[in-house]
Amino acid sequence: MSIEAINEQLLRAIGAGVALVDPDSLEIRFHNETFSEWFDEAKMGARLSDLLEDLDLATLRRGIEENGRYDSEATLRRKRRRVVVALRFTRTELGLILLEGQNITRIRELETMIETYSAMVERNTREIEREKERVEKLLLSIMPRNVYEEYKAFGVVTPQSYDPVTVLSIELVDFDVKARDLSASVLVSEINDIFASFDRIGEQFNCERIKTVGDAYVAVCGLPEPIDNHAASAVGAAVRFIRYLSRRAESHDMSWQCRVGLASGPVIGSVVGVQRYVYDVFGPAVNIARSLRSLADPMEIVGGNLELDQIGDEVTILEEAPSFHDGAVPVRTCRLVST
Amino acid sequence: MSQTLYDKYGGFASVSRIVMEFYDRILDSESVGDYFENADMKRLIDHQTKFIAYLLGGPADYTGDRLEQLHAHLKIKGADFDEMKEILEGTLTDHGVEEADCAAVMAEVEARRGLIVNPG
Repeated sequence: MSIEAINEQLLRAIGAGVALVDPDSLEIRFHNETFSEWFDEAKMGARLSDLLEDLDLATLRRGIEENGRYDSEATLRRKRRRVVVALRFTRTELGLILLEGQNITRIRELETMIETYSAMVERNTREIEREKERVEKLLLSIMPRNVYEEYKAFGVVTPQSYDPVTVLSIELVDFDVKARDLSASVLVSEINDIFASFDRIGEQFNCERIKTVGDAYVAVCGLPEPIDNHAASAVGAAVRFIRYLSRRAESHDMSWQCRVGLASGPVIGSVVGVQRYVYDVFGPAVNIARSLRSLADPMEIVGGNLELDQIGDEVTILEEAPSFHDGAVPVRTCRLVST
Repeated sequence: MSQTLYDKYGGFASVSRIVMEFYDRILDSESVGDYFENADMKRLIDHQTKFIAYLLGGPADYTGDRLEQLHAHLKIKGADFDEMKEILEGTLTDHGVEEADCAAVMAEVEARRGLIVNPG
């Protein structure tokens, strides 16, 4: 068998569609079987323009002339399938144009599938991001940012001692009576409004809200970042809580009053719980503040172990101070009213 | 969190093979292939990628409304739905999906019969 015959057999056998095209007439001079499978009408002498109706002949001629090459793509209909063939026209040394075709249908199909998949994954990623933001927001609402960062990085939180800080413990006066009379939605809406305002005020005075339990609101000043004038800041916030409730009563149908207990001292902050965890603070200052708040008259502040020289003229220190002992230890108390 | 079939069988790398095989088989099917005679390849693959990922618990969100809307104009007969199920079952089995998992997927498909079959 001659080399030419072997070459021709090889060309016929390969998976790629191959044809030789006359550069002047653009007629097919040779094609292999794969090529004829793609183009039913492909006969020797058939014109390219009949086989590939969408082919831009002028651009093809220019490409061959200028670069010796031209690439194109054709979509053919085979039964129910759309076959996509990548075509490459190359000028040969013999003067004929070599047309090589590769069936890229599967590549196109896979590209489409990947596009769909990417879109699905991107949408999921966006949803996960949104979910992550919601979780982050939720966690930040129950613990200070630095504690959250530690929890995120290590999965646990090391209990931290903060010394000294001032704890604010606030309760609403006659809450139980109002809770009986009001509908659940009105009650919750009122509490939400008041506590949200307390949060805003507290933020201005470096007070970190720790928790609310029913009508009780607990915040700490001097945590997580220590501050020198924590007692003054806590008093500043407490005075504004009281003023806020007074002003609110003027424009709302329902009037609320509060009692405030403040106590300076050390606390320990930590996340508590495994399945249902909360960030909480513990220590004498927390207990003292809670006890002192019940000794306060409505719209009054009772402080324990406060650095009185820190406190400015926003409050008047009343002469009479309640007596209170933390266990056997006497607590230096004071009774404060907004000036 | 429990593992989805999508993860169990290798995620997109494996599911893509199932999708392509299913796509080939339904196009070649004498009974249901005609439904796809004039279907746009992109839309068909898009639909099948989402549908199979969804059935296997992958990252696709496919509502019943969408499924109904996509099939309403095709006037699919019950027997053709059965054939499509058979093709899908065969494809899943040939790709190593265990019998119990395959049965679970087929039950999911069957649960959507009312959304897809609409002989008109």
